Amino acid sequence: MRVDQLMQFHEDPRVIAWWQVRFGGMLAWLTPFRRRIILATGAVWVMVKELRSLIGTDDLAMPVEGRGVVLAGLVLLGLAWLFYRAAAGFASLPAWIRQHPQLALHGVYWGFLGLAWLSTPAMGVWQQVLLVVALVFPFLVWRFGYMLLMAQYGRMAGTRFYDHFLTFWPVYGGSNTPYGKGMGYLSRCEAKNAEELARSQLAGIKLLILSGLWNVTLDLMEALFYGPGNALTARLGGYTVGIPKLSQLVADEGAGTAFWISWISVYCELIYQVLRHAVRGHQIVAVLRIFGFNVFRNTYKPLLSESIVEFWNRYYYYFKELMANFFFLPTFAQLGSRLRNWPRVRLFAAVFAAAFVGNMYYHLIKMNELMVQGHVLDGLYELRSRFFYCFLLALGIYISMLREQRRAGQPATPGRLRRFLRIAGVWTFFGLIFIWNVKGGASFTARVNFFLSLFGLAPAA
Amino acid sequence: MMGAQREQRLQDLIRFLRTIQKPNRPIDSVGVNEGLVASGLIDSLAIVQIVVYLEQTYGIDFAAGGFDPDRLATMASILDLIEETCR
Repeated sequence: MRVDQLMQFHEDPRVIAWWQVRFGGMLAWLTPFRRRIILATGAVWVMVKELRSLIGTDDLAMPVEGRGVVLAGLVLLGLAWLFYRAAAGFASLPAWIRQHPQLALHGVYWGFLGLAWLSTPAMGVWQQVLLVVALVFPFLVWRFGYMLLMAQYGRMAGTRFYDHFLTFWPVYGGSNTPYGKGMGYLSRCEAKNAEELARSQLAGIKLLILSGLWNVTLDLMEALFYGPGNALTARLGGYTVGIPKLSQLVADEGAGTAFWISWISVYCELIYQVLRHAVRGHQIVAVLRIFGFNVFRNTYKPLLSESIVEFWNRYYYYFKELMANFFFLPTFAQLGSRLRNWPRVRLFAAVFAAAFVGNMYYHLIKMNELMVQGHVLDGLYELRSRFFYCFLLALGIYISMLREQRRAGQPATPGRLRRFLRIAGVWTFFGLIFIWNVKGGASFTARVNFFLSLFGLAPAA
Repeated sequence: MMGAQREQRLQDLIRFLRTIQKPNRPIDSVGVNEGLVASGLIDSLAIVQIVVYLEQTYGIDFAAGGFDPDRLATMASILDLIEETCR
């Protein structure tokens, strides 16, 4: 058996047939209805677990008690039900909401935030309820958003509350970004018979194997590249190349480090981040596939991308889709009548709406504890380096899209060297802009100084 | 049986898609009901080029009716959208 055949085992008809024979009973039992019920039951468990973890938290204006969390849970359930009813009866909603459902949804979030800011200890447990609801809402808002998009496109018919609920507190995992998007996308990818389920499950198993492999690679990277290494380093004879982490180099502004080591660290960080996303994303998508939702991977060979826009598509697919669905495509469509004769301006506006404005907004409301306490400006200040990162990202994507449009329809460019140079260019672009996105407390100026040090332009002390 | 007008629109659409297809994924290898993004013919952001094509060729106004990317997922669904709009 060739390596490529081995890698594509999940597509091999013999393997699929074997899986169907071996696990025929399970495949027959695991009907779409049962699969959804299992995931919805899991969602209840996740909701309870997540809310329980908030009991006793003292990061908010006041400590949260068990009673407050229970009531907040009921309010959140009520909101989920209300948004479901609104989506199910979308046609009967007021015209403004039908035209701007996402604005209305985010208006509700900001309304709860406003109430949380105005709340006082005199309100007793209701203050805690407001704080918890406003705290949890950023996790739910994009998930409710996908449900409303489905309603806007007239695809709600035949879906029940539990179908959507399983995406609200997904047992398969996720961050504020909904992996697998909403039920609209999930149901389109859902296995309808035993053979499709077998295919989907085998594809999920492949992702679990890949996730394990990339996890080992991450450990090896930590052990062999990054100094001082980890527990594995000792087992491997104590050898480590000793490359500093990018966050550390940025904080030190590259001082005392040879510039070529800094460059290696830049590229290592890119590889590290790609692997980290792949490990987590593969696990989540694997669970979805095992439950019959054969959705796209979150990360698909981004390091082989030949353009910036291709990398953005492949690196963190579900975040890119979120930006595309809620910012890029609506902006592009809305500007159709006004900017029809200025296609480049229209594209520029849509790209910046997504990669810059949407990206910043997503990360601002993700800082939920600061938001709940009313420290919106502090949140924006925290994101000051990200502003620059998002600006460069948006600019890069825009230019890349224009270049892709020019290249489209032409035959593939021959030559490994040209392909290698394109890939190297993409690595360099993302490696460099990541200087303004790497975690750590480094100031914007420190990041600029580190960037300059890569070119031997360290500012005078 | 595909109507003559639908067949003509499909040929026009294929001609257009040939101008935006990725170099290593020719349109001739993609079925009418196959996902354009899923097949790798285009990426999901390149859908905007199909939007512009439909606006310019058929006068479809995406701002008015909301923009559902799924309607542009396959050649068949694009043809359905054109028929609904031009009806």
